[in-house]
Amino acid sequence: MLILSRKPGESIVIDGRITVKIMRLEGDVVRVGIEAPQSVPVHRQEVYDEIQKNNQEALNQTLGQLPRLTAKAEPSAPRTARSSIPHARP
Amino acid sequence: MNNLLTAPVERQAANGASLIQLPCGLLGFERVKNYILLTRPAEEPFLRLQMVEEPKRSFLVVPPHFVIADYRPDLSELDVAFLELEDPSEAIVLNIVTIRAGAQPTVNLKGPIVVNRRTLIGKQVIPINAAEYAIRHPLALS
Repeated sequence: MLILSRKPGESIVIDGRITVKIMRLEGDVVRVGIEAPQSVPVHRQEVYDEIQKNNQEALNQTLGQLPRLTAKAEPSAPRTARSSIPHARP
Repeated sequence: MNNLLTAPVERQAANGASLIQLPCGLLGFERVKNYILLTRPAEEPFLRLQMVEEPKRSFLVVPPHFVIADYRPDLSELDVAFLELEDPSEAIVLNIVTIRAGAQPTVNLKGPIVVNRRTLIGKQVIPINAAEYAIRHPLALS
């Protein structure tokens, strides 16, 4: 593992396209800013590990055990901030 | 089948399958980017997300409105831009189902798969409000 010392305001560049910046220290918490291309997934390690583990468990479920389901609601769309939708502005 | 899923399915209605691209892959399966979304009448409302290169490997998925009444994942600006969603109605949301021996099936509400029905490009996203949702939400049988 490469270990670097950084001060608040200093950055690390990875692969020429991902910038990790130490924003500030708050007690034992380090605030980190990350700039990366949209196609590069960035997650907290714990969330990533949990979902990755669940995905691996979910691979190849056997058929024949499918429970019966009825709709609990009408289909609904996810929330997307209006201002963030490309081409949405006049 | 509900109307959230009809649009892509109609494109390849003959075999009930749609080609879906996940450029980032699924978490833990980052290298697998091409999937077929299979609908089989006997399995509705469940669908299969099958790897194109490895047809024996697939995930069971379900539209979330069959799981809970009020599911509103809040997509980040980056995910909206990545998915090129011009309107929320373009999004198809699918959640991965896990069936474990001797245990109640669960649904991952924390990391939904969102697919743009216009481009058929999708991503397993972690919504901004992911903390509100469980990764192993019990699937209530009806």
